[in-house]
Amino acid sequence: MDIIESKSWVEWLITIAKFAFCFVPVLYILLLIPMERRGAGFMQDRQGPNRSYIKIPYFGKIRLFGYVQNMCDGAKLFFKEMFAPKGANKILYYAAPAIPFAIVFLSPCVIPWFGPMVFDWAGEVVRIPGSIVDSDVGVLLLFGLSSLSAYGAVLAGWASKSKYSYLGSLRTTAMTVSYEVCLGLSLMGVLLLAGSFNLTDIVSWQEHHVWGIVAQPIAFICFLIASIAETGRAPFDVAEGEPELVAGYHTEYGAMHFGLFYMGEYSHICINSFLIATLFLGGYSIPFVTTETIQAHMGGSLAILCWVLAFLALAFLHMVHRYSKKLAATKQTHRFEVLREYRLYNIVGWLAVIVLIAAGACSWMFFTPEVAHTAAGVNTLGTALGTAAIHLLVLVVKSIMFCWVWIWVRWTLPRFRYDHVMNLGWKVILNIALVNLVVTAIAAKLLGGN
Amino acid sequence: MARVIKQKPMNWVERLYVYECLRGLFTTLKHAARGFFRYEQLPTISYPEGQPDIPSNYRAKHRLMLRADGTPRCVACGMCAAACPAHCIFIEATKSDDPRIEKRVMRFDIDHLVCVFCGLCVEACPVDALRMDTKQIVFEHRTREEFVAHLEDLTNWDPKDYPEDAQSQMAPGGTKNAEARKVWGMEVK
Repeated sequence: MDIIESKSWVEWLITIAKFAFCFVPVLYILLLIPMERRGAGFMQDRQGPNRSYIKIPYFGKIRLFGYVQNMCDGAKLFFKEMFAPKGANKILYYAAPAIPFAIVFLSPCVIPWFGPMVFDWAGEVVRIPGSIVDSDVGVLLLFGLSSLSAYGAVLAGWASKSKYSYLGSLRTTAMTVSYEVCLGLSLMGVLLLAGSFNLTDIVSWQEHHVWGIVAQPIAFICFLIASIAETGRAPFDVAEGEPELVAGYHTEYGAMHFGLFYMGEYSHICINSFLIATLFLGGYSIPFVTTETIQAHMGGSLAILCWVLAFLALAFLHMVHRYSKKLAATKQTHRFEVLREYRLYNIVGWLAVIVLIAAGACSWMFFTPEVAHTAAGVNTLGTALGTAAIHLLVLVVKSIMFCWVWIWVRWTLPRFRYDHVMNLGWKVILNIALVNLVVTAIAAKLLGGN
Repeated sequence: MARVIKQKPMNWVERLYVYECLRGLFTTLKHAARGFFRYEQLPTISYPEGQPDIPSNYRAKHRLMLRADGTPRCVACGMCAAACPAHCIFIEATKSDDPRIEKRVMRFDIDHLVCVFCGLCVEACPVDALRMDTKQIVFEHRTREEFVAHLEDLTNWDPKDYPEDAQSQMAPGGTKNAEARKVWGMEVK
């Protein structure tokens, strides 16, 4: 009971609220699927899926820039009949898709979503870490969890009783296992420099020294390639090579079973991009600005954040305006109903701009250092929450950038042959990572690092 | 006729694959940026709402040209049916009431399910009676029989849809119809 009583209710509240971060990968699925489909469309000079709509009484159709399509697909997958092929091992067949999807909720535990919150509450200094589990073996835990998703593939391939599924699962396993090695080894350079397996420590080292991508550019490239390969996406999607195997280990799956695999893949991308952003791009930190500086000028930082968001809203409004002008000039028969929808976006956009600018001005004027700090190094709850919000947004922006890299690479590069993938993994990337590790170790020793 | 195409051997930069990868990535990024920031410039037409711009020499659904008095120009010579590689034109001729014309067409059917839209019938026609410039590219019917265009369907067109074409304006309802009737000279029953 000491542990419970030693914490104030605010501390408990924030600690429990942090569990909401478990759902971040699931939210990212909602973001990534439209991003992938529209992104693929744009790269091929198509428009991408944009025709589904929700009909709202007394208003008309709402297309949300094609976002409704994903809801429709999800609903369709959800309501389809689930069936198992004849001769399949029923228990394993039905359990397999749950494994990659369950890991989705576990992996975000060790990622630091914001810097440690240090604030004053009722005369006591409260310290709350930014990750759900502030573990000293955070990186290892994350790798362990993401390797577990190979079990899902193995079980799915084995239990479906289909040779295509089986071969696909073999390939997936081989890929995942061999690229895990590269992943771990390319990471070691950064760990060596930071001197810790704790992700929070790694981020704070990057914040106060230099970002991982600058200190370890070669490791960054190796890690990026290895993690793309580990998620089993193009150009490394030999496990799903349609010319050879029908669709890989989930050939025999339909309905929401397939949906779980699909979502597991996307959330794997999400976790990996969060990992890259954390390890190589300074995590939640902003370039050239330390957390202490932000906290010292909390009002100004929040104002800048609000105004950046307001600028983005204005850019959105400009795009909507330009497109509606073009659309109004055409003779397309649906132009009036689309324009009506765009008027709605205009109203929402302008409201957002006004609110954001006002919020920025308020925080600029009223969130003065007297309000923000009780003592040197110790902030009020407001400052701590504001810092956390800025950190979280920065991390999300960085990770979305890397998610885009995944999509970008997928729709650009042709698929590698299976033996080429294995050659690249074992003979090239592994060796580069090893050499990089040795060089880093020697350089760090000579230059007097950790 | 075997023709050997000699491929240029790749130099070491291309064989390294990294630079070529980056080039490809840059290309797709350009296209993606255009789609995102200049969405309205994408070449795609949102089809049923927006119609494609069809040039006048596009080989679309057929029509039969009309004389000034509204009879089809077709003299039922059967050259279009002979030229048709798909054998989709069926013509029956009958005696013409007009002493200047030997035959007139009684039945003129084009089966659009069989037609390959090659345009050879248009080329073959000696009196410029058959044309494919209607710009109608959508055929949707309930039954197979409805896909067969008869004489009435082929002659049922409006001169207002072909404002640039002087020949079409000579048909009844066209701007040059009165003039053409004078030249044609004779009222035909």
